[in-house]
Amino acid sequence: MRSDHIIETEDLARYFELGGEVIRALDGVNLKIRRGEYLSIVGPSGSGKTTIFNMIGGLDRPTRGSVIIDGVNISQLDAYELAWLRCRKIGYIFQTFNLIYTLTALENVALPTIFAGVSRDEGAKKAETILRSVGLGDRLNHRPLELSAGQQQRVAIARAMANDPAIILADEPTGNLDLHTGIEVIKLLRELNNTRGVTLIAATHDIKMIGASDRTVWIRDGKIEKIEEGGVNLKE
Amino acid sequence: MTRTREIGRITFSLADAFRLGYDNVKRRFNRVVFSMAAITLGIAFFSNISLMDAFFRVYAQTEGGSLQVESYQYWLVLVSLAVCVISITNSMLIAVYERYREIGTMKCLGALDQHILKLFLVESIILSLLGGSLGFGIGLVASLISCGFTIGFHFILKVSLTAPLTLLGETILLSITLSTVATMYPAYRAARLNPVEALRYEV
Repeated sequence: MRSDHIIETEDLARYFELGGEVIRALDGVNLKIRRGEYLSIVGPSGSGKTTIFNMIGGLDRPTRGSVIIDGVNISQLDAYELAWLRCRKIGYIFQTFNLIYTLTALENVALPTIFAGVSRDEGAKKAETILRSVGLGDRLNHRPLELSAGQQQRVAIARAMANDPAIILADEPTGNLDLHTGIEVIKLLRELNNTRGVTLIAATHDIKMIGASDRTVWIRDGKIEKIEEGGVNLKE
Repeated sequence: MTRTREIGRITFSLADAFRLGYDNVKRRFNRVVFSMAAITLGIAFFSNISLMDAFFRVYAQTEGGSLQVESYQYWLVLVSLAVCVISITNSMLIAVYERYREIGTMKCLGALDQHILKLFLVESIILSLLGGSLGFGIGLVASLISCGFTIGFHFILKVSLTAPLTLLGETILLSITLSTVATMYPAYRAARLNPVEALRYEV
């Protein structure tokens, strides 16, 4: 039986030591994320947003507590299993896009399919389909530097979707975009969330992103301050 | 928790590594030229001296000539190959720093440490093949010219192809070995990168 929660964190904590001082980046976070929801994580910089992301994404290990994805405690996974998780279950979107500049849009999107063991032709076909669906059908063979910021982020979104992940982690996806392209990217993410049922978790400062989400988690000093159902109403 | 883990396979075949590595070499060519120049020059010197040695031997056997490569010239070859290894290591380390984010991103997309290692080693093999062949070509031309002037061009034309061809094989092998040895440490550094730190890194 599948639980309604795709991700659960239990007493999740991550401490760093910096110059002999212990920094509590996360300090006991209990969070249940529903399958298929669009969750925004909001908080001032340094509040622990990115740390939560790194934990959920299996990029960093917790000091205490656990992250459970689809019933599996990921701190028990070895490097190979974590890589598989990152490859197949999770799609990453970054503030700085992080496309590979020597590869074309198509090759960037097809890259994760290589690690997933998909054949080259199939991967290219899949990448093309996804790129068309994000409106970049005429930009397949352009390199990232030949694309606008908004287009680059759409390529990055397409790359995140390449292996049909269950979860998309987006760290400030609109942080480097202007108002207009930011709204387009949010619409696209919301659409993917609706049509493909992918669980979308976005860390953001961007009030527009919070408005679009199903739930908003406010974080301060490594702890959950409050959780609000529904997006924040922007008009008020 | 006893749930069966539905963990599948992660792959990165040698063919994929070659394709990606080749793209990288092609599209970052202006950067790659420096590492390649190091191999090319070292190998050119090595093959020049070795070929001259081979020609002199044949000359000695057939026409009783007494020309030979001096031992200090071998020492120079050795030093130049050592310098070649060091400069490849150096430029590969810089390449790793430049590609911090790229490596971090690839790890986010599912690459294992060994895949990153493979990618960098394959790139160095591609470089060594290019640099090695080019270097051998330069060495061959140089040795033909110098032997032509000392022994005579009519003699060079009579030398069989076996010695130069064997030497070509040896040179390519040497070139791959040197380049792999030189890339070992930078590739290891790249493979062991922590993705969290790699992504935070600003170039």
